[in-house]
Amino acid sequence: MTALSRWIDGRIPIEPGALRELTNEPVPYHLKRWWFALGGTPAYLFVVQVVTGVLLAFYYQPHPSTAYESVRYITEDATFGWYLRSVHKWAATLMIAAVVLHQLRVYFTGAYRKPRELNWMVGMLLLICTLMLGFTGYSLVFEQLSYWGATVSANIADTIPVVGGFLKRMLLAGEAYNERTLARFFVLHAAVLPGFLVALVAVHIALVRIQGVTELRFRDEPPQEEGKFPFIPDHIYTELIIGLVLMVLLSALATLAPATMGPLADPMTTPEEIKPEWFFYVTFRWLKLMGGTAAVLSMGLIVFVMFAWPFIDAWFRRRTPFREASVWIGVAATLLIIGMTVWEALVPH
Amino acid sequence: MNRRSQDAPADTRRRRFIVAVSRATMAAGLLGGYGVFGSVLGRFLYPAGDSGTVWQFVTPTDRLAVGDSLIYTTPAGAEVHVTRRDDTGATGDFTALSNVCPHLGCQVHWQPQHNRYFCPCHNGVFDREGRGVSGPPEGMVLSGYPIEVRGGMVFIKVEATPLVVPERRS
Repeated sequence: MTALSRWIDGRIPIEPGALRELTNEPVPYHLKRWWFALGGTPAYLFVVQVVTGVLLAFYYQPHPSTAYESVRYITEDATFGWYLRSVHKWAATLMIAAVVLHQLRVYFTGAYRKPRELNWMVGMLLLICTLMLGFTGYSLVFEQLSYWGATVSANIADTIPVVGGFLKRMLLAGEAYNERTLARFFVLHAAVLPGFLVALVAVHIALVRIQGVTELRFRDEPPQEEGKFPFIPDHIYTELIIGLVLMVLLSALATLAPATMGPLADPMTTPEEIKPEWFFYVTFRWLKLMGGTAAVLSMGLIVFVMFAWPFIDAWFRRRTPFREASVWIGVAATLLIIGMTVWEALVPH
Repeated sequence: MNRRSQDAPADTRRRRFIVAVSRATMAAGLLGGYGVFGSVLGRFLYPAGDSGTVWQFVTPTDRLAVGDSLIYTTPAGAEVHVTRRDDTGATGDFTALSNVCPHLGCQVHWQPQHNRYFCPCHNGVFDREGRGVSGPPEGMVLSGYPIEVRGGMVFIKVEATPLVVPERRS
């Protein structure tokens, strides 16, 4: 033992073997398939978001009088500002897409079933957290969409019985959009929500580690010994390659379709066409179809059903003859979500 | 020794070589890719250009005699001593120095009879290059501005926009 390793061992008395045992999770063979790396993808993209987001915060000013100009400065004047802002925006888009695909994969492989019900619920919280990050993110640019998106959302919150008015005041820091509103969105976007996200991801990964990855068997797999491969270095290599591919993809998207800026927010002029970002199209279409309190309450019910799905599914499987009902319900829900998103994308109002 | 066992080490060597090359490629990819990204991050943080500064006309060279100084007020509100120390007609004849004493922020004055800047607050003395030579600011310097003579006219490079601080409500 060298002097250095003795010194370190005296202060951090962890046995290398034990550390390796703890971190080197045996991974089922099916993770060699690329589409099973969809959980690591949002995690990697989140790191990209933290890095680019911290940098953007060096120049961003969360006040109505300066926010738009500071974003313009980042986009047009700051060295590589256009690149970092575009990467931030595209990584957000890909992150939401990857989270949704990850959830679909978990759903259709039944990976949420006992004993993993709690991790499904943690995943739901992560989905909500990610969507809220998306919402607060585009509110910060202070273009027309930012202003009216926030105003419409606050009005939607207002229609919730009992707590609606309170939620609206908490969101806007007052009865209406005012000069303290942006600071709220900024703190939520850059501190509170990422903090929650980190904590939830830690729980998510800890639960995966405790329960192990769901084991699936594909017909074409070689009959290996136990069908496992070591996390280090095999799966790390996979994740490294995914990371590099994502960086290339993000850079290409940022270069070919850089983040632009809409017109400056104008409280006096309601835009002709008001639409949220694409990931809220389905919610927005639903709200327009139902209207008012019914829409908000039904949304709440849908989210509750999604949270409780592992238990509802277990009940289906125990008490009814439709053991594989979840597949058909999932297919129907996915088609409905895609359909409503496309619908909202195609129509002007 | 048969043929098989002779081939085996060659096969292992080739395998080892391929593993080493692929590892090196991966490491180079990671270093290169994230290295470039890291340099982008650094460039983003470093203040972009000097778009906040502009060249401003101060005076025709023949309006300022050797040994004289004038006070120029920048668009941002700072005051600058523009002093002439020689008459070759080149840029080196002129200095542009802030009138703010680096000691406690008092205003320094040009004293042509002594060929020096003087701060009356604590008797600070600066030579004509702006170096503190006695008193509390000894060893400190008056901050300078880039200066240039073009076609018989003196220009200095200064901040164009002031830091706007809203007035305190009484």
